Amino acid sequence: MITVVRYSLRRLRGQTLGWGIALALLALMIVSVYDAIAAQQEQVARLVASYPPELMAFFGASQDALAMFTPEGFISFEFFSLMPVVVGIFAVLMGSGLLVGDEEKGTLDLIMAHPVSRTALFLGRMAALALATAGILAIVWLGFLLGMRFSTLSIAWDRLLRPFVSLLAVLLLFEALALLLSMVLPSRRLAATVSGSLLVASYFVTSLARVNEDLEAVARFSPLNYLQTADAFDEFNPQWVAGLLLTAAIFSVTAWWRFQRRDIRVGGEGGWQVPSLSWRHILRRA
Amino acid sequence: MAGEAAIEVRGLVKSYGRVRALRGIDLAVERGEIFGFLGPNGAGKTTTIRCLLDLIRPDGGTARVLGINPQADPVAVRARTGYLPGELALDDNLTAEQQLRYLNALRGNSADWAHVRQLAARLDLDLKIPIRNLSKGNKIKVGVLQSLMHRPELLLLDEPTFGLDPLMQQEVLKLLGEAKAGGATVFFSSHILSEVQQTAERVAFIRKGLIVEVSETASLMNRTLRRARVRFRTEVDLEPLASLRGVTVLSRDDATSVALQVEGEMDGLIKMLAAYPVSEFDTERPSLEEVFLAYYEGDRKEG
Repeated sequence: MITVVRYSLRRLRGQTLGWGIALALLALMIVSVYDAIAAQQEQVARLVASYPPELMAFFGASQDALAMFTPEGFISFEFFSLMPVVVGIFAVLMGSGLLVGDEEKGTLDLIMAHPVSRTALFLGRMAALALATAGILAIVWLGFLLGMRFSTLSIAWDRLLRPFVSLLAVLLLFEALALLLSMVLPSRRLAATVSGSLLVASYFVTSLARVNEDLEAVARFSPLNYLQTADAFDEFNPQWVAGLLLTAAIFSVTAWWRFQRRDIRVGGEGGWQVPSLSWRHILRRA
Repeated sequence: MAGEAAIEVRGLVKSYGRVRALRGIDLAVERGEIFGFLGPNGAGKTTTIRCLLDLIRPDGGTARVLGINPQADPVAVRARTGYLPGELALDDNLTAEQQLRYLNALRGNSADWAHVRQLAARLDLDLKIPIRNLSKGNKIKVGVLQSLMHRPELLLLDEPTFGLDPLMQQEVLKLLGEAKAGGATVFFSSHILSEVQQTAERVAFIRKGLIVEVSETASLMNRTLRRARVRFRTEVDLEPLASLRGVTVLSRDDATSVALQVEGEMDGLIKMLAAYPVSEFDTERPSLEEVFLAYYEGDRKEG
């Protein structure tokens, strides 16, 4: 399994560094503009207060406009509001292609013909993806810490770590979901599309539930409802993280169970298509 | 254990949806033999091999590879087996050497790297070249090399020479012969009759998911069909030719030209033609599928 993890990490190296460095640069930029924006916080607060509450809720901003200018509020508004979707794209693409990507390219056939069990391959790939995702977030976290050395924006390293832990749990959940869908749907592309759509839907439901009480019941089933950003700094809820990780584990175990039982497809063998719902097709089957 | 067959398959059934790829295959391959698995495209050769490695799961029947049930202990089977997929796909981002080292690592680094370099030299393969820059033939060489590098007890090769130039085809067949000499069992699929005739001691024919014949290669040779086209200088009576044992007149284009099908040895036909004013004489081997069809037509006539 160590070989699988090492090789998979090597393959993910470029993506990890690419996403990590790009987002770390964004973090540096956010920290670098903090002083300038904080100096004009009254004007900016007036401007922000004039925005519709729905719009502000959408970006995860507090009802109190001045709270945006605290270091924690600023980072949450500028960075963590959209990160679940941005890094979530990485999560669903990598999760959906973790095994099926190689299967569709035909390379899984040869790997599986070697003395490595399906369980070892599955766990090795999962571990590598989890490490790569944690690696991306670690690079961004370091980017923030580096930027803070040159800014009045200051948050202790361990407090800054908390929203990253929460975000990691959300990303692992969507990676596991995309992996599970890739095991039951006919193609990687479809699995990525469905899991990506669920990610975006979760974002919308969670955001809108902040201003529409009717959606709160639905939002309870939305993974992003349990993402902790500004609130993580002072009221970090480890149970929510545990809940997200448990859900990710359930998805992963189901995906593993499915992987154990399915054929390794190659050249279209064993593939299937979404059944046609046309009347002609249904009548013919009948 | 040593007395057990290298491969033993009974009643193997596999379907893909409504397509029945295998319809109850029975097969036994003895240890230490080179066994050719012949059949046209889509006959079930690849499906059979992939069932033996637990890459796909049969719907019915049993399989034992080196005495092990591949569904129960696939890792043990794969540890002692070398496999070349019919549709070989490699990691384009690696060099040939990196790819081989990765696959070797999956085997616990059991291959002797000096042996790998020796095989690469014999196959005229530069290991430093990235996979993406390799031609199809060179990629197949990487595939052949990875299947042989750990000196497996059993080689499962799906069309091992397909895409190679004739010289390399010969080299690969030579390597298979050497593997057998070293005690390995070689099970390879092909749709090229000549290479199977040259290499295999026994062959099985598979057609539409069923084994239709298992025979010694020597007896297969006697059933081999050829087509002959003869042009005469003048109009001739073909009756004596048509009445020759194993000769069938396929068509007669004009009064001086005839197409014949010859089953078995050509000796009788050539001796008979010596008495005719022959201006041109060409022969060709029919495709394997034609051999199948002719063989079964023959069966029906005799029955």
